[in-house]
Amino acid sequence: MSSATSQLRYQVLPGPEGLLPPSASAMGVVLPQDGEGLVEGVLTAEDLALKAAARAMLTRRNPTLFPGPLVVWGWNKHTQEKASVVLEIAAEIPGVKIIPMPDYRPIYPKIDPEAVINPCHPNLTIWHNKIEACIFVGVHCHFANVTLKMVRAGTNCYTIALCAEAGHEDAMVSLPKCGTEKLQKMVKALRQVKKEGITPWALTPNGKRELEAERDQRRKQREAIASAAPDFAHELVAGLDENEE
Amino acid sequence: MSLETLKISPGFESYMPKEYVDLVERGPYGREVKVSEMGTFKEILEEHPMCAGCAMTLFIRTALIGLPAPEHTVILGTAGCGRLALSQASIPFIYGNYGDTNGVASGLKRGLGIRFPNQQKDVVVMAGDGGLSDIGFSCVMHSWFRKEKFTTVMLDNEVYGNTGGQESGMTNKGVVLKMAPHGKKFEKMDMIGLAKTAGVAYIARLAPTNPTRIANTIRKAVLIAREVGPTYVQAYTSCNIEYAIPTPKVMDDARAVEKDRYGFMEIISDEAKAYLERIEQEKKAKAVAGPKA
Amino acid sequence: MAEGLETEVKTNPQGDVITTTEAPKKEQKESKAAKQRVVTPEHLFFEAPRTKTFITGSEAAKEAIRRANVDIAISYPITPQSETMQQVGYLYAEGYLKDYYRGEEEYGVMSAVAGASRSGVRALTATAGPGLMRGMEVITSWPGGRMPLLLMVMCRVINAPLAIQPDNVELSYLLNCGILVFHAENQQDFYDFPLKAYVIAEKCEVTLPAAVAVDGFFVTHARGWVELPPEDIKLPPRDCYHEAVPMMDNENPPARLSRDAPIQKSNFISYQMHASWQQEIWAAVDRARPWVKKYMGGLIEVVNPGADTMIVASGSAVSQSREAVRQASERGDRIGLVKIRSLRPWPTQELIEACRHAKRIIVPEFNCVGWLAKEVRSTLYGHTQAEIVSGPRVFGGMSMPTELILEYLYKTPNEARLTDKPLSI
Repeated sequence: MSSATSQLRYQVLPGPEGLLPPSASAMGVVLPQDGEGLVEGVLTAEDLALKAAARAMLTRRNPTLFPGPLVVWGWNKHTQEKASVVLEIAAEIPGVKIIPMPDYRPIYPKIDPEAVINPCHPNLTIWHNKIEACIFVGVHCHFANVTLKMVRAGTNCYTIALCAEAGHEDAMVSLPKCGTEKLQKMVKALRQVKKEGITPWALTPNGKRELEAERDQRRKQREAIASAAPDFAHELVAGLDENEE
Repeated sequence: MSLETLKISPGFESYMPKEYVDLVERGPYGREVKVSEMGTFKEILEEHPMCAGCAMTLFIRTALIGLPAPEHTVILGTAGCGRLALSQASIPFIYGNYGDTNGVASGLKRGLGIRFPNQQKDVVVMAGDGGLSDIGFSCVMHSWFRKEKFTTVMLDNEVYGNTGGQESGMTNKGVVLKMAPHGKKFEKMDMIGLAKTAGVAYIARLAPTNPTRIANTIRKAVLIAREVGPTYVQAYTSCNIEYAIPTPKVMDDARAVEKDRYGFMEIISDEAKAYLERIEQEKKAKAVAGPKA
Repeated sequence: MAEGLETEVKTNPQGDVITTTEAPKKEQKESKAAKQRVVTPEHLFFEAPRTKTFITGSEAAKEAIRRANVDIAISYPITPQSETMQQVGYLYAEGYLKDYYRGEEEYGVMSAVAGASRSGVRALTATAGPGLMRGMEVITSWPGGRMPLLLMVMCRVINAPLAIQPDNVELSYLLNCGILVFHAENQQDFYDFPLKAYVIAEKCEVTLPAAVAVDGFFVTHARGWVELPPEDIKLPPRDCYHEAVPMMDNENPPARLSRDAPIQKSNFISYQMHASWQQEIWAAVDRARPWVKKYMGGLIEVVNPGADTMIVASGSAVSQSREAVRQASERGDRIGLVKIRSLRPWPTQELIEACRHAKRIIVPEFNCVGWLAKEVRSTLYGHTQAEIVSGPRVFGGMSMPTELILEYLYKTPNEARLTDKPLSI
């Protein structure tokens, strides 16, 4: 619930914020109106928020898009159009990863953090991939909020929520009412920031080295699995017959 | 999931985990699948945290194959072992409060009926003996008396398995379990008799010895619930942990219990019978007519 | 509602209230329901012309539901709620609702409205006292399930010995669920609040259930003046695909949906998710604030702001306090009054602003435990020098004479009994 009368404002910054930080809403952060944005807990003009989001995605380590069910499942024309703009956003971010959140159920026995993010433990994906900037788009607001809160508590990831509804206090940058038109503005903001002379993280020496090392590691993993799996997994690959008598 | 929600947005196919792509390409949606085809399609239930050798898991897995329209089915569960598997299944699942399944299902089914008058939405309760005969008893009985059009499936392992082995109303008389230190003092509750009294349109009792029969029974129960009224399937799904059944002997136990006191039984109302016959005739007529040119 | 306190209530030999109402004449009404047209909430609340009528609280609630575009109502009888929900039954018979039934008891009813709400329809129920307690396990799960449905609560005594009289102690149990709670003062509020509650509850960033509470009998069974817009307009239907969670209807993604994941297995789900989930519920309660301001005119109403002595009250205690304020003004005393419309979200800032200056604050309540006084005290702690008096309180069905409030404005009756003299025998 709202905190007291103090004039100090609560900053919504990348964490790790601690064991169980309060929700930003409880600390007095309010949602933006259409035409506004929310940057680190402060209401701003929309273009400033877009720019802050673009800058984070272009300068921080391992920028990643987390498209939710309302993007990845093309259940109607609107969603399909939106999904294609999300891909345009990705195309403007060198070295970007796309890791979907296809649904919200807990995944048994454990998630593959390179393949998926899940609101039951979003930190696993962020930690594993060393993601320091991300965009959530097309996630139902309840699950987005639960996720954003946990990410802020446990990681140093700069979270951006492009929300089709009212926006999210617990994201570092949030824009409300994001239809295809506003998502297009995100594409333009990325182009604009690059034009202003920012070198995207993936193109910096550090970024290049890290991405190359990552590719290397993946290749080795694949090879290891290919050479080691048949001996070890022989019985399990065939599966167990539950009806066996 | 109407089939529209099972389309991956163009451009995202390569980013979706394989499991989801399989679900879209090989899921049992919008078509009839048979138990004999297991292995050729992506099943609704695959990975789950149930105990090794659990008969309940086998029952649930097979029962889900019997659903006539999984893409339009919602399953409800309550506390108990079954929900551990059901929450991992590729079908919308509601996990409510203790013993609330048949209350929630009543409101859900009616609400779906209001929103989708031209699309059958199947609602299936799948919960344990404790959840349905003890804590959920009032909601179960009243949903039957009100003739709510959904299916209730009891996963009857005759014990509170998930809380660590206490007696339930469906435990047999004399069995020593936790909270029954001298053995259970009263008979196993006659839920089938109560279903009869309440006028349930289709009642079935079975053990998980015959997978095809499981799927067929569930299919019948769900279809009859669409048009005629409430349906009830009571399945023996032993708890090999609390009853100390060695894992390789789980099916032996199922067969023994089936022979002794849990034989396959169906009670079907005249109206339900006529309805099933009508569907069967329509299906045959369609098959004879063949696909439209 | 001060004028409405003297109610004529017919009871049967057991003391239960007899609430017979003539069944509606079907043929003429059906077309009326079909002819209703959807208008914006703003039009229904602020723009449509209103006509003054003299009706009971139960009838006021009926008129709200007539215009609320409710899909399904599920009822279970309990005094003093029954009259309202049977009136809603008549609305169903007249075609204003699409489904309606009498459930098995409150646990089943609260579960069923939860099922209906998950399906995407606009759902309604109501209860009172013991019924609320019986349904409580389910009610506490509604906010976490993000179900924007409406619960009307006609407060009555709980606990033993059993009684049907007005007493709002039950609201203290409702305050910590995460459900929105609005406390209606009078018949007019009991018409306005349910409609506004639906609109607020269904906002995407809120997506929470709402309770509209009212003190039983004092409001439900007494007549008061209510200004009503025409019968032929209603709220827009629920827009369920623009809420915080997907619907359990198999028509919206994700295809594979477990919305209410059982958070019990530490190996594949994080306990922190449950903590974060709870924080999100209270964040959503906070997000209702701007909408409560917009539609209900604020979380509180202040009469005579800046007065040295302030009364803080909710529900029908507000009406009694208004009369006390009037009587005090006849003596030449200016007494302030804060009416709390919204108990959840709680008007923290508003209350501090309204009471910061005060020298004496009294909190009249219709319950034994003084839950409102506790809320007020913890809110004002460190923000005011005022003496905060917990009382006056009445309960068990007693009415609250304005004289009692007037006494407390100046001195509590028990203060006169305090002494430092030793016993004289």
